Amino acid sequence: MRLGAGPIALKDTTRMRLESLGEQAVASSFDAMWLSESRAEGVGGGLAAAAMLGQAVPIRVGAAVDAGLYHPLHLAEDIAVADITSQGRLEVLLRVSAEASTYLEEFLRVLAAALSGAHIQFDGEHLRVPARLAANQPVPERLALNPRPAQPAVPIWVEANEASIVKLARELGFGIAAKFQRGAAVPGATGRWPGMLLCGGDVGPNELLAAAGDSAGYFVVAADTPEEVASAGKRLAGPLRMPGFPAWINQQ
Amino acid sequence: MRLGLGIFGMQSVPQRPDHHVKLYRDVLEDAELAEALGFDSIWLSEHHFWFDGYCPADIAVAGAILGRTRRLGVGTAVMLLPMHPVEKVAGDAATIGRLGEGRLSLGVALGYRDAEFDGFGVQRKDRGKLMDVMLPRLAESCRSAEPPVPLYVGVATAIAAQRAARLGLPLFADSTMNPDELREMLDAYNAAAAAAGVTPPRAHALQRDVFVTDDRERDWAMLLPELRYMRRQYGGWSFPQEPDETVPAYLQRLESDIEAKLKNLIMGDAARVAARLRDFEALGFDLIVCRSQFGNLPRKSLHRAIEGLSRVRDEVAP
Repeated sequence: MRLGAGPIALKDTTRMRLESLGEQAVASSFDAMWLSESRAEGVGGGLAAAAMLGQAVPIRVGAAVDAGLYHPLHLAEDIAVADITSQGRLEVLLRVSAEASTYLEEFLRVLAAALSGAHIQFDGEHLRVPARLAANQPVPERLALNPRPAQPAVPIWVEANEASIVKLARELGFGIAAKFQRGAAVPGATGRWPGMLLCGGDVGPNELLAAAGDSAGYFVVAADTPEEVASAGKRLAGPLRMPGFPAWINQQ
Repeated sequence: MRLGLGIFGMQSVPQRPDHHVKLYRDVLEDAELAEALGFDSIWLSEHHFWFDGYCPADIAVAGAILGRTRRLGVGTAVMLLPMHPVEKVAGDAATIGRLGEGRLSLGVALGYRDAEFDGFGVQRKDRGKLMDVMLPRLAESCRSAEPPVPLYVGVATAIAAQRAARLGLPLFADSTMNPDELREMLDAYNAAAAAAGVTPPRAHALQRDVFVTDDRERDWAMLLPELRYMRRQYGGWSFPQEPDETVPAYLQRLESDIEAKLKNLIMGDAARVAARLRDFEALGFDLIVCRSQFGNLPRKSLHRAIEGLSRVRDEVAP
């Protein structure tokens, strides 16, 4: 099982707050500290903020970013550089809030291809990469993301309401994320990545273990203050990693 | 006069390749050194889809550097604005400017390499029109950000300077412009600002290739392959082969451009370099961003040059 804290909304957040939450997440044995941009409110920079947080904490850093709002190669480049500056500790949650569309499908396909290191030539209905526009000739027939991320594969989860997007994300090797609901299971693993559940701050270890069943799970638990991070860590970290150990060991 | 360090592109160059994880760790270390030595700022450069991994995402690197430092300014020099969605740049800059406690600056310019525009589905020939639309919007969002994000316009021509002048934005002048060209450009800027009824900024920023050394001969031999690599790369991007040009003719044209631009390097001991930089201050530049990393210099040599530059700073600082 993996345990993340957050995601912390970047809106109105200060560096000092991010760092103090990050330090507590380290002290409380979290695997990752997550933060979240909100482009609808003009709050971008999720990946750059993760790069910043990566300098303050030794654990993994996660960025929840809005997918599909700009060219997938810009997103791929931001992911690569944030991963490199954190020496391979980046994780990403792509939030797809729009309805399923051929554009979104093409966006995810180009993103996956770019991050794989492939020399891309993509001809979709909306995206053509490289565009090979007549006015720009001569240009190469293919392009590759350079530099590539530090990790062989950056762990990326997709959170989407539309079944067709979830299906495509799975096909492309992205992990699947969903909001925690009592009684619902962790989304199935996608080969590389366990399913992710975005949880409220009040979840208990037994319901998370029940949600995972026989599978692994990645639980990202909301916590807005260092005290909440500490409390969630104390309640969840031991039991999720060593279920069945007595409380006097697991909750120390 | 304030001195900045840069520009840095974190390239894994053929003459001294390194893993990018190391190159980015190095630039974070260089930033810490710059902060310890009291420099004003460090500046990052941007290009896309190039084999040596030239940095394509400046604001992400800026985030990492701001996370590693407490006082140092961090800027983009320059972000190639027409290739980016302006809302993305504005949203990224507002957040990182706030998290960086006001230490982020943006320099933006047109860009020039066809393959980069093409990757993002933008026609290179539209870059001026795009800039005309994007720059006022970015200027407004940088002004209204809390704290505001200082915005510079990277320029190498009078036309680009006039565009900045109409908005009253300070310039970030290209490293290859000589004093006469700079003077002419500033005249064009001031005339355009006056015509638009805009108060020009007090001063502008300028980039120079600078290498402080007490042993010119030794360091010139070391620098030459690095400088040639850098100039060949930029030269090849700025002046691609013409359709009707033979390869030998093209290479000859490129080589003469490279050799001419090598002369731009300001090299010498701290006193000599300080005297040269004062000439540019007199033209109207109060921030000079000095580039001593041309490819991937040995760490010791680069740090010696940066320490030398801090002695220049001691001479030229108010």
